[in-house]
Amino acid sequence: MSAPALEIADLTVAYGERPVLWDVDLTVPAGSLTAIVGPNGAGKTTLLRSVLGLVRPAAGLALVLGRPYPEQRRLVAYVPQRGSVDWDFPTDVRDVVLMGRYGRLGWVRRPGREDRQAADEALRQVGMEGFARRQISQLSGGQQQRVFLARALVQEAELYLMDEPFQGVDATTELAIVELLRSLRARGKTIVCVHHDLQTVPEYFDRVELLNVRKIAGGPVEEVFTEENLRRTYGGRSAAFGRLAGS
Amino acid sequence: MIALLPLDDYTLRVVALGAATLGVVAGALGTFAVLRRQALVGDAISHAALPGIALAYLVTGGKASLPLMIGAALTGFLAVLLVSAVVRTTRVRQDAGLGIWLAVFFGAGLVLLTYLQRRPDASQAGLDRFLFGQAATLLEEDVVTMAVAGVLALATLALLWKEVKILSFDPELGATLGLPMRLVDVVLTGLLVVAIVIGLQTVGAVLMAAMIVAPAAAARQWTDRLGVMTILASVLGALAGVLGALASAEVSRLPTGPTIVVIATALVALSLLGAPRRGLVARALAARRARRRLGPAQVLADLDQLERLHGAATQGHHAATIAALERVDVGPALAELERRGLVERREGDLWALTERGREEAARR
Repeated sequence: MSAPALEIADLTVAYGERPVLWDVDLTVPAGSLTAIVGPNGAGKTTLLRSVLGLVRPAAGLALVLGRPYPEQRRLVAYVPQRGSVDWDFPTDVRDVVLMGRYGRLGWVRRPGREDRQAADEALRQVGMEGFARRQISQLSGGQQQRVFLARALVQEAELYLMDEPFQGVDATTELAIVELLRSLRARGKTIVCVHHDLQTVPEYFDRVELLNVRKIAGGPVEEVFTEENLRRTYGGRSAAFGRLAGS
Repeated sequence: MIALLPLDDYTLRVVALGAATLGVVAGALGTFAVLRRQALVGDAISHAALPGIALAYLVTGGKASLPLMIGAALTGFLAVLLVSAVVRTTRVRQDAGLGIWLAVFFGAGLVLLTYLQRRPDASQAGLDRFLFGQAATLLEEDVVTMAVAGVLALATLALLWKEVKILSFDPELGATLGLPMRLVDVVLTGLLVVAIVIGLQTVGAVLMAAMIVAPAAAARQWTDRLGVMTILASVLGALAGVLGALASAEVSRLPTGPTIVVIATALVALSLLGAPRRGLVARALAARRARRRLGPAQVLADLDQLERLHGAATQGHHAATIAALERVDVGPALAELERRGLVERREGDLWALTERGREEAARR
């Protein structure tokens, strides 16, 4: 039995006085596709960011494939929300994808032919071949998301942490992303997505973690994604979820 | 153009070289300050450099440019460190933090300068040239110092190109890739300090920030490539520097800093207006072409939709009603549709689809 792809223990994060995450434990088995679901302000993004060391937790531990994250950095790729960067930055698609390779290049060295081939291959996998020299300011929202996914692909990671990859993308892109996530899983990779659309959870994911500052429940979708758990996660606004959880 | 200038004049040659050096370095480093939206940081550094110059003069007692530049760099960099300390430990935001420390350091600088000017050796010191800049005071050794510092700064930038690029575009990605983004940030800020200090004697503390922002902002309009933008900003910075310095050397009592900055600002205005694709003129033309192309078809569809909403018995609709849907002037589109016999103008300035127009709308 190999180590879980991601193991979080007792994670607590506070901004000032206010706890954003409180005593969260979570285990993500390798080769799974997991959704992190919860209301706004539940700490979903913070969870990913504290695993990555972008937010300093007050307490807790994150292990990636059995070892602390700083030792396993190369094995983890992060896909942030699209809005986290300035898409008017003067650069093109291939250049953004190549940035995913900067970690392995070392100081001073520039990306070489091998890196460019990896970038073009990643662009092909996300259906963006032919866009390599396109200015990033000219991309649609869905295309921006695909570029971010391609950038994560060239990192050749084992664990992919994605923050709302389906946010504001067109239907075609959504399907393409789902296909991509499944093919990653088929190759034994592990994917954890912050996800907003409850309707698609059972279709897209095999595991779900319900989060609202504290962890409410976590496990296989068919066991955990119940009306009762959703009510506990979303509080009073529960009536709408009965239909969803039943479906 | 260069041939027309009296460059065989030794003083002018020194002045022009100095101004070109400052423009090249400020343009290149300014590119990243602008892309990272840190223009105000440049302003804080240049103002905070003033007390450093005065202190360095007090300590060394001489006006050799190297000690003065080192003093300027130290207080300039100290100000940035203090700003980030304040932002990290209090609820003060970065813009307020910059404003606070800019005022504190600049105030201290003015106090020191005033004190120094009361001393008997004040007239020799000429430290007030660092306020608004005076290119004519540049000596060959000053320019050599500037050039050496500038070349070192540009070489560092070139070596750290990809680290600086990722810091500017997506520092969090850089951090998750294991790149020391904090360190790269400190180094890049240090290079910005060098770029500013190089220009202080020529442009002055008050306006040096403009030389960080203007060439880069102008260059951004002409290109979508980071490397090209950096080089172009350098070229434009040098151009503004040389023209301004020469003008101020030719015309007596014309302060260099403001002259250079006026020229740099003119370059920005020209670029904002005239650049292909991003320029205002080009964008207005493109918008007009797009309206011409899409206008009639869209207006036809709008009229069709209005007719469905109101039933075919409608009298027609005012142009303003249609314009409200499109948020543009629909006059030309209606005229075009009328010419093609797809719409008709009725009593009371109302527009309605003709039978052919209805068929056309249905076919789309």
